[in-house]
Amino acid sequence: MRTLGKFGRYGGVYVPETLMPALEELEEAFATIVPGDAFKTRLASLLTDYAGRPTPLYHAKNLSDKWGAQVFLKREDLLHGGAHKTNNALGQALLSKMMGKERIIAETGAGQHGVACAMSGALLGLKTEVYMGEVDMERQKPNVYRMQLLGTTVHPVKTGSRTLKDAINEALRDWIANLENTHYLLGTVAGPHPFPSMVKHFQRIIGEEASAQIQEKTGRQPDYVVACVGGGSNAIGIFAEFIDKTSVQLVGVEPAGKGLDTDKHGAVLALGSFGCVHGMKSLVLQTEEGQIQEAHSISAGLDYPSVGPEHAFLKDTGRARYESATDEEALSAFHELCREEGIIPALESSHALFIGKKLAQGEAAGKSIVINLSGRGDKDLHEVMKHGK
Amino acid sequence: MESRDRYKARFQSLQEAKQGAFMPFTVLGWPDEETSFRIIKTMIDSGASALELGIAFSDPVADGPIIQAAAHKVIENGFTVKQALELVARVRKYDADVPMGLLVYYNHIMAMGVEKFFEKAGECGVDGVLVADLPAESSDEVLSAGTVNGISTIFIVSPLTREERLAKIVEHASGFIYLVSRLGVTGTDERNADRDSRLTALIASIKKATPLPVLAGFGISTPAHAEKMMASGADGVITGSKIVDLVAKADPAKMESELSSYLKQMVAALNLVKV
Repeated sequence: MRTLGKFGRYGGVYVPETLMPALEELEEAFATIVPGDAFKTRLASLLTDYAGRPTPLYHAKNLSDKWGAQVFLKREDLLHGGAHKTNNALGQALLSKMMGKERIIAETGAGQHGVACAMSGALLGLKTEVYMGEVDMERQKPNVYRMQLLGTTVHPVKTGSRTLKDAINEALRDWIANLENTHYLLGTVAGPHPFPSMVKHFQRIIGEEASAQIQEKTGRQPDYVVACVGGGSNAIGIFAEFIDKTSVQLVGVEPAGKGLDTDKHGAVLALGSFGCVHGMKSLVLQTEEGQIQEAHSISAGLDYPSVGPEHAFLKDTGRARYESATDEEALSAFHELCREEGIIPALESSHALFIGKKLAQGEAAGKSIVINLSGRGDKDLHEVMKHGK
Repeated sequence: MESRDRYKARFQSLQEAKQGAFMPFTVLGWPDEETSFRIIKTMIDSGASALELGIAFSDPVADGPIIQAAAHKVIENGFTVKQALELVARVRKYDADVPMGLLVYYNHIMAMGVEKFFEKAGECGVDGVLVADLPAESSDEVLSAGTVNGISTIFIVSPLTREERLAKIVEHASGFIYLVSRLGVTGTDERNADRDSRLTALIASIKKATPLPVLAGFGISTPAHAEKMMASGADGVITGSKIVDLVAKADPAKMESELSSYLKQMVAALNLVKV
């Protein structure tokens, strides 16, 4: 490989030898095809004309008045497919097409990445198969049906915790067996190099737009940028442009599930330890002996027992800080956005909204806060209805 | 005897007898500690040339459904990594000479600490460690711990490993080369005759690069498969999923005799063919 994709002590390449030829091929394609004009022109046109970029940066006046800070929402929920996942899926699907692959496979938790892959596969004529934990298929039924409508085969994953981590295992196993004609379209900034860097590359457009948009609206850069973190792709996507702008505070929000003092959470950055899973070194929820534990969150998209290696690195260096919101807190923010602004957010993004509110009502009073509204909540109606209100 | 010598001694005597090596695999602690010991004892008593023993991991990406299920059962039973190593030590007491390799995922090594893991493995009589998710470029992290404790570091070569990778791999490898003889994860599914026909060239190129013996694994479950691998130039075979499957399906009262009769067939197939 050209590099090992390390972020400090995190990241790297920790996969079976049988997968190495595919990672070498992918790294080479990422280094040579992606910077080329043919790729760039085609992706830019797809993002604009097909997916609907740029997405708006919306000054949420009702929330701003209520919370006491200037709140801006980066509207990735308005992207085709209903979440930021489309940025990465289109990028990687186009890359696999140009690499001559016939088939893409993917894991999905909430189903948003699966849907984004299903759309991209249909558009570009790639056979698409998605691995999804049985538990997640149950709580995100509409997305399962959407994928099927788009011509994708959804494979239920019945091993382990039957959620996202097991879906990744199954997708990796499929890739190991079929790497000659198949690209594994990993949906987050995790996994072995080059995935964390490549997914960041395709998601950084969120932050590039947000930075230019807020400059245009307010004449300056924001004081805070807030995003939810499961694997961490929407957060890295919006953080990337601001990492060098040191006056901007970067805040990631992890799922605290039923509380950090219970064993039902997904707060990997807060409570995980150094380990190795899914091809990377990162922070991991694990037993003392190194068995990977199950994460818990009301939102399937945040239900992951590890996290993208760059987040672990940003936490260690202090460039970003990581807070958490419980299931209940995310739900309260979900309802508040519905009623105050007429926007139904994804439960994932609702975690970021809750911490945005807490900041606005505390240290960030009167400041400007950009919150990444990474997806829309239509897929979550079933889950929200179960909780009443 | 320094532990690394066990591989050397065993492979050398097989070579002299013109016999192929048979290396059965099972998951330590599966289906329970006592039965696991009996399975391993049966392997030794039935003529296994060496053993490959797996430590159960929650997320075994290189393994197919049979070994996954076994690993999950071990974890569910609460059988720990520490107990797995103690079981290895018990096997070593039973047989002082059989070479034993561990198949482990890297997170278990990290959790214990690389130095400590290899030290402990050495104390338990382990001869080799194959880290399923540690490719050659990331292997610096374990090589010196292997050397210090006299433990061979086993590496995998696959049908898609290109020549420059092969050179890097053999530079780090000791003990033997684990040839993944077909694409995919561990399992007992059908082999592809067309792909098998290309193994001869692959094994020849490995042999050109290293004097280490080449043992073929993945999808090797019958005496015919073993003969095919030997005819392609391999020095022996590794069989895992088939064994786990056989034990899982066997009548517990007859498990040892059924396992033994299977193992002996494999050993017999390997005894016949080396040219």
